[in-house]
Amino acid sequence: MSEASAARALPDAAPPVLRGASDDRALTDQLLRPVFEGAPGWRVLLALSGAGVLLLLVATTYTVAVGIGAWGNNIPAAWAFGIINFVWWIGIGHAGTFISAFLLLLQQRWRASVNRVAEAMTLFAVINAGLFPLLHLGRPWFFYWLAPYPATMQVWPQFRSALPWDMVAVLTYFTVSLLFWYVGLLPDLAAARDRAPTPRKRRAYGVFALGWKGSGRDWSHYRVAYGLLAGLATPLVISVHSIVSMDFAIAQLPGWHSTIFPPYFVAGAIYSGFAMVLLLVIPLRAWFRLHDVITERHLDAMAKVLLVTGWIMLYSYVVEAFLAWYGGNAFERYTLLVGLPLGPYAVLYWAMIACNCLTPQLFWFRRMRRSIPALLLGSLLIVTGMWLERFVIIVGSLSRDFLPSSWHVYAPTWVDLSILAGTLGLFAFLFLLFIRFVPFVPVSEVKELRHELAREGSR
Amino acid sequence: MTAGTPRAGVLAEFGTPEEMLAALDGLRGAGFSRLDTFTPYPVEGVEERLGLRRSSIPRWAFAAGLAGAALAFLVQWWTNAVDYPINVGGRPLFSGPAWIPITFETTVLCAALATCFALGLKTRLTALWHPVFEVPGFESAQVDRFWVIVGTEDVGRRRDAAVAELRRLGARRVVAVEEEDEA
Repeated sequence: MSEASAARALPDAAPPVLRGASDDRALTDQLLRPVFEGAPGWRVLLALSGAGVLLLLVATTYTVAVGIGAWGNNIPAAWAFGIINFVWWIGIGHAGTFISAFLLLLQQRWRASVNRVAEAMTLFAVINAGLFPLLHLGRPWFFYWLAPYPATMQVWPQFRSALPWDMVAVLTYFTVSLLFWYVGLLPDLAAARDRAPTPRKRRAYGVFALGWKGSGRDWSHYRVAYGLLAGLATPLVISVHSIVSMDFAIAQLPGWHSTIFPPYFVAGAIYSGFAMVLLLVIPLRAWFRLHDVITERHLDAMAKVLLVTGWIMLYSYVVEAFLAWYGGNAFERYTLLVGLPLGPYAVLYWAMIACNCLTPQLFWFRRMRRSIPALLLGSLLIVTGMWLERFVIIVGSLSRDFLPSSWHVYAPTWVDLSILAGTLGLFAFLFLLFIRFVPFVPVSEVKELRHELAREGSR
Repeated sequence: MTAGTPRAGVLAEFGTPEEMLAALDGLRGAGFSRLDTFTPYPVEGVEERLGLRRSSIPRWAFAAGLAGAALAFLVQWWTNAVDYPINVGGRPLFSGPAWIPITFETTVLCAALATCFALGLKTRLTALWHPVFEVPGFESAQVDRFWVIVGTEDVGRRRDAAVAELRRLGARRVVAVEEEDEA
């Protein structure tokens, strides 16, 4: 990267960001091996996740065929799984961009070996997220009505509504994440091309590498472009999830109509996303024996992020409840102080508080930050807790709005549950394809890091 | 420095980035200026030695971002305030703040697209073949070796001098790259 990052040595107590790594050739071959040789048990896992994809296919086909009446949501809870899962998935995606873009700008070197996995997670999470509003439209084949095209009906979309904001935000986010990911991949695809064991693979990676040759002139443009994309992707994390939160905040519903929503949602997104990165990286590291490339230092750093964002969440919960009381609005006060904590979804509410506020406190302790079982369990609880949070905010607030006569308890149907399970399957399916065919640890960046560390060591 | 990466000349392989940088210094000292490198990762110090100016990609991105912002805002204004005005609870037809989210996202989208297109143009992406790829062993440029090319324009009649200089500077291998056939 640059002089600044090279000059600052790591504190002695911290474990190294990279261990062993005899030479560049061995490192390249180690990191490309999964792509050329596959991994034990990969087919079995792919088949299992493929079953999830099938379930998703069945459930979405059914939804499209009979209409969204197949879902459990109905007035007053007009939004439920369709939006809960949208917000949850897109929030998970944000950690990927945060790791790959924001930490690049901050010159955090530990990001180098996990950023590709995190970015892939973003892409797949956004694909899943996009599915929900699309299906929730009811007639998804008319989604293009959201775009301002010269329609024969002579109407235009209403841009004061949050729905077109969402569409533009999600499409932009997906496109920019994809570009950023692909630009980052170019040198590694070229390495795969040049190390490919068979002509077929060489040709395939050759096409995807787009003829990357790595000349001094290429790199000089590349570094600028990559930094620029990082700078452009970073505000996307904040803007996209702020826009998502405004779907709620610009409505007048008690429990939604609050200015705290954008920062609160962004912190929650990064919180759940880092937990998901840990859930992906820890098994991956064991599966491919990447302990030298993804060290305790990576796990430790990510656990610290969980602790920080966990505290932001706790603070937001407190402020939200305080403002409801202090604001003096009877409906707001009821929703946040009675409806949610004591209402029909009280169990979920308290489970959410336990998962999101208690779990991260584990990571005050260094031993816990480096303990695989604690990290896995903690991440699982946090991901679940963040899903529950979206459920509580959306369904909890909607099911008890202004008029008690219209209160109604919501429950999901089998279609709702199948679509949620199906997106988990699709996520796993895409991720498995990714680790099989794409160099999932950035080869070029790790070699650069190795060179930088060696140069510092020799000083 | 307007010329791109040389397509023909003399190629030399070095084992470490430091050897390669020293070689660039040596070549410049010997009067060669049509140089470029091929490396598996960006090497600090190459840009100065090749005399490269800072990439112009940010300017493209900035212009595209501005254009995107203007386009998004104008489209929203014209469709919602002029061509198809709808009174929503008495709110002003020119609802500037409500158009900011889309304006911002479109700015970022256009800037990112421009960055990638500019990168593709400047590094000639999608040209899958380059004459240096014909050199046996050049694959190592993406793995663990650092190559230097001295362009034909520079080598000309001084080819032997260039080869000798590269050998003296510690090149592990020195190979000629042929001019491509004009087909």
